[in-house]
Amino acid sequence: MTQRRQLLQAASALSATALLPGFAHAQSGAKKFQGVTLNVSTFSAAYPKLLQQYLPEFEALTGAKVNFDSPSFPVYNQRADLELSTKGSAYDVVNVTFIYSSRWINSGWLTPLDDFIKNPNLTPADWDVNDFLPGARAPETGKDGKLYGIPWTAEALLSASSRFDLVQQAGLAYPDTTDDLVKVLRAVNKKERVAGFVSDSHYGWTFVPYLHAFGGDVFRKAPDDLYPTLDTPEAIAAAEYYASLLREFGPDGAITYTPDQVTQALKLGRVNFTDAGQLHLAQLGDAATSKTIKTLKFGQVPKGPAGRFPGTAVHGLGIPTGSKNKEAAWAFIQWALSKQTTRKAVAAGYGSPARRSDIDSKEFRSKQIINGNDLAQLALDSIELASKTGHMKYRTVSVYPQVDQQLNKAIALIASGQASAKQALQQAQAQSITELKRAGQNL
Amino acid sequence: MTSADATLTLPASLTAAALPLPATRRAGWLRRQARGLVAIALLLVVMFPFLWLVQLAFKPGAEIFEDSLLFVPTLEGFRSLLQGNFLKSFWNSLAVSTLSTGLSLLIGVPAAYALTRWQFRGRRHVALWILVTRMAPPIAFTIPFFLAYRWLGLQDTIAGLAIVYLTFNLAIVIWLMQTFFEAVPTALEEAAYIDGCVVWQAFWRITLPLASPGLAATAVLCFIFSWNDFFYALILTRTNAITAPVAIVNFLQYEGWEWTKIAASGTLVMFPVVIFTVLVRTYLVRGLTAGGVKD
Amino acid sequence: MSTLTAQSGLGWEAARRRAFLWGLLPSLAVLLVITLVPALALLVASFTPLSLTDAAATFHFNDPLVNYRHLLEDERFLRSIATQLKLSISSVALQLAVGLGLALLLNGRSKLLGATRTVFLIPMVLPPIVVALIWKIMYTPDVSPLHRALEAVGLPVRSLIANPDTALWAISIADTWQWFPFTMLMVLATLQMVPDDPLEAASLDGANRWQLFRYIVFPYIRPVLVVCGLFRLIDSFKAFPLIYVLTDGGPGTVTEVTNYYGFIQAFNFSYWGYASAIAMVMLAGVFMLSWLVGRLGWNDHDKR
Repeated sequence: MTQRRQLLQAASALSATALLPGFAHAQSGAKKFQGVTLNVSTFSAAYPKLLQQYLPEFEALTGAKVNFDSPSFPVYNQRADLELSTKGSAYDVVNVTFIYSSRWINSGWLTPLDDFIKNPNLTPADWDVNDFLPGARAPETGKDGKLYGIPWTAEALLSASSRFDLVQQAGLAYPDTTDDLVKVLRAVNKKERVAGFVSDSHYGWTFVPYLHAFGGDVFRKAPDDLYPTLDTPEAIAAAEYYASLLREFGPDGAITYTPDQVTQALKLGRVNFTDAGQLHLAQLGDAATSKTIKTLKFGQVPKGPAGRFPGTAVHGLGIPTGSKNKEAAWAFIQWALSKQTTRKAVAAGYGSPARRSDIDSKEFRSKQIINGNDLAQLALDSIELASKTGHMKYRTVSVYPQVDQQLNKAIALIASGQASAKQALQQAQAQSITELKRAGQNL
Repeated sequence: MTSADATLTLPASLTAAALPLPATRRAGWLRRQARGLVAIALLLVVMFPFLWLVQLAFKPGAEIFEDSLLFVPTLEGFRSLLQGNFLKSFWNSLAVSTLSTGLSLLIGVPAAYALTRWQFRGRRHVALWILVTRMAPPIAFTIPFFLAYRWLGLQDTIAGLAIVYLTFNLAIVIWLMQTFFEAVPTALEEAAYIDGCVVWQAFWRITLPLASPGLAATAVLCFIFSWNDFFYALILTRTNAITAPVAIVNFLQYEGWEWTKIAASGTLVMFPVVIFTVLVRTYLVRGLTAGGVKD
Repeated sequence: MSTLTAQSGLGWEAARRRAFLWGLLPSLAVLLVITLVPALALLVASFTPLSLTDAAATFHFNDPLVNYRHLLEDERFLRSIATQLKLSISSVALQLAVGLGLALLLNGRSKLLGATRTVFLIPMVLPPIVVALIWKIMYTPDVSPLHRALEAVGLPVRSLIANPDTALWAISIADTWQWFPFTMLMVLATLQMVPDDPLEAASLDGANRWQLFRYIVFPYIRPVLVVCGLFRLIDSFKAFPLIYVLTDGGPGTVTEVTNYYGFIQAFNFSYWGYASAIAMVMLAGVFMLSWLVGRLGWNDHDKR
C-alpha cells in the first residue's frame, strides 16, 4: 500500500509540476510547503471522495500533509459553523455549504480569494476563474462583491425512478406533473416489494421545489423582505401533498432516510422514486454496486399548478479567516479545482462539475448517459430554468439555516401523523419568526 | 459494612397463629438448579443485543442483509478499520484516559486523605459541591470550556481533553479513596507519628500501601469513565485529538452504512472497558455513586 | 472517623492541620478553576443575548432577563422539559423494576450465579456510544434481527424510532438496558446485609417467599431503591448519545429532551446566551436533586 502510494506520488509529481507555478523550481528536493499539515474538511460526497484518492499527487507536489475529514452533511455543517463562528484555526480548507454560504460569508468568517486568484505566483494564468459557471460563483460571492469560495459542484434536484420497468408495466409514462406523480406512485407502490417514494430527510432542500410548484415560497420576497410565508394556503397544500407521498408510498422509517440511505435504497431497488441532486444520482450508474442500472430513468421534478421549480445547489471550497496556512490552503484549492483535476474527476464519472469546460466536454456528456438517460442535459436544463426564475434566492439569505431546520421538522411532523399540515406549518412559521428576530433580523 | 443484628418484631400477619402450616418442603437442590437455569436464560435474552453487535463485526459485508445465522467469520470489518482515522482515535483515547487518570489520582488522592483524617467546618458544603460536579450535565461546562480553550489554544488537544475530564474524575477519586482510607486504622499512622514521621511520610509509607488495591480500582474506574466519554470529545476535538467514540459516529454517517465496520469499531472500543470491568466489579457501585450513597 | 490525639502542644497540631491543608488545596484549586469559574461564566453568558455571528455586538447586559423570559414563552423548551420528565421517569421506573427482579433472582452463592452477575454488568460499563450503536442496529428494520424475526412469524413491526408514538419508549428501553445493572448491584449489595435471623424465624413459622420478601426484605431495601432512583434520575438528565444516534431529537421533536435542545441551540446556531440560560436551568435542577440526596443523610463520611 505504501509502495504504491510512493510510486503514485513520484509519477504524479513528475507529470503535475505544470499544475502549480513556483513549484517548478523544486531544487534539491525542497518543496514549497514541506512540513505543513493542512486540515481540509468537507461533507462526505462524490467529489471529496475522489479528491481523497488524488491526495498523494498534491502531497508529492507540495510536501504538505493533508488531513481530509468528511463527516455527513448535518454533522459537517454543525461543526464547520461552530468552528467558523469562533474564527478557529482547526481547518484550513472548508466546504462552503450552499445554505450556509451567505451566513458564513457575510459574518466575515471566510477569507476573500480574489487576491490569491490574481497573484500569478500562486495561480497559473490558465486556471481561469471565469470558466466556473456564473450561476455557481454567485452564491459564493459576498455582499462586497468578493469571491469567497470556488465551486466544485453545481447540481440540480432531479427526479429518478429505479424501477421504471414497473411504471411501464402499469402502462404509464414518466410523471410530469404533481398529479401524474401520485397516479404513478399509486400504481407501482409495493409492487415486487418495492416502495414507491422516498427522499432524504433534509426537507429544506427536497421539499421546497414542491412548495414553489404549488405557488408558495419560503420568504415573502428574498433577499429584501425576509418575512417567512410558511403558513400560507399554498404552503399548506404543498406540505399536505408532499407528506402524503412519504406517508403513503414511503418505505418503513422513510422520514429518517439520509441521502446515502436513499442512494443505497435505489441502488438495491428497494425504493422506486426519489428526488435528488445528480451528485447522488450519478452514483446509480455505477455498474459495480447498482442493481437497478438497467431499469433507471430520470426526469425533471414534477410541475405543479404554479410551474416547475427545480432546486439547485452549489458547494465550494473556501478558507476560514482563522486558518494559519492560507497560502498552502489556496494551493490546495487551486489544485483541487484545476482543470486537470476536475477533468480527471469527470472522466471517473463525477456527475456535477462547476466548470463550463467540463460540462461541455465529451467525457462528461458521454459518462452521464446512464441507461439512455442524458443526466447532464436534464441537470443543465434545470439549472438554466432556475437562473431565469430566480426562485433559489431564498437560499442566499444568511438566516435561511434556521428556517431550513423548521421545514425539516414540520414535514417530519406531518408525515409521521403528529400534526396536521396547518398546525405544523403554523408552528414552523411562529418558530421561524422567533429565530429570525433572535438572529437580529428586522421583520 | 455494618451488619445489623437488631431484633425485628414481625407484623401480626406473620406470627404462627395467623399462618397455615407449610406443605412438604421441596428439595432445595431442584430449586437452586431452577434459579441457575432461569438466570442463564435471562442472560442470553438480555445480552442478546450485545452479542449481536459482536457477531456482526465478524460477518462478511455482503451477507449483512441475509437472514442466515451461520456464516464464515472474517476479519474484513476489522481490517477496513486500519485505513483512515480510526487507529489514531484509538490511541488518542488511550492517551487521554491514561493522562486523565494520572492527573486525577495525583491531585485527588492527597485531598481524599486530608478529608478523611481532618474534620473541618464546611465539610458538608465541599461534599455537596463535589457531588454536583459529578452530576452536572456536560453542556453546562462545554460552552465556557469551548471558548476558553479557543483562547488558550487547548482546543483539539489531548491535554485539553484530559483537563476537562477532571471535572468528573476528581470527584470519583476523592470519594472512593475516602472510603478506602477510612478502612486503614489510625493506630498504625499514630505509631508512625510517634516514631517521628510527618503526616505525609506516614501516608506514603503506611496508609497508601494498605489502600493500594483500592487505589488500583479507582484508577481503573477513572480510566473507564474517561474512555467512555462522548459529549466532551464531540465538542472539544476535531482531527488531532479525536477519540474513539467520536470516530465511530463518523462511520455511522458515511456512505453506504457500513455496518460491519460500525460493528467492528464498536467491538474494539468496548473491549478494554469490559476487561477492566471484570477486574474491578466489586468496586463498581461505589465508583458510580461517588459517595452519594452509604455503603 | 478518626480523632487526632493531641500529643504535644499546639504547634504540632497546627503543623498537622497545615499539612492536610496542603494536601487538600490542589484539588480545591483545580475544582474551583474547572467548575466554579465555568459555572460563573455560564451564569454571566445567560444574561446576554450572546450569538457568535456578531459576538461583540451581542455581548451586552441591556436586558439581563431576556433569555429567561424567552424560555418561559418558548414552547419547544417547555415541551423538552415534559419530554425529559417522561423519559426520566419511565426509564428509571423500568430500571428499578428490572434491577430489583434480577437482584432477587441472582442473590445466591453459587459460582454460576456469580459469573452471571459479572456478565450482567456489561451494559452499564459499555461506552454509551456503543450502547447507542447496538440499539441503532436493533431498531433499524433492514438489519435488525428483532424486526426480521417478527416479520418471519408474521407480525411485521414498523420502525420504532421513526414512529412518534414509540420513539420515546424505544429510547427508554435502550436506556433501561444500559442502566439496570446499577440498581441490580446496589440491591444485591444490600441483600447481602439482610440479617438471617428474622428470615429464618419467619420461614420456620411458615411464611412463604412472597411474604418473606414483602415484610422483611423489602423494607430493608426500600431506602436503597429510593437512592438508586434519585441517582439515576439525576444522571438521566445527561442522556445524549442515545438520542444523538437513534433519533436526533425526532421524529419532529418528540424525543428532544432539554439537554438536547440546549445542545442544538448552542452548537447548531451559536445562540450561546440562550443555550447558557437553558444550561443554568438544568444546573439548578441538578443542584436541587443533589441537595436532596445529600439531605437524606447519604453523605455518610460525616458520621464516621
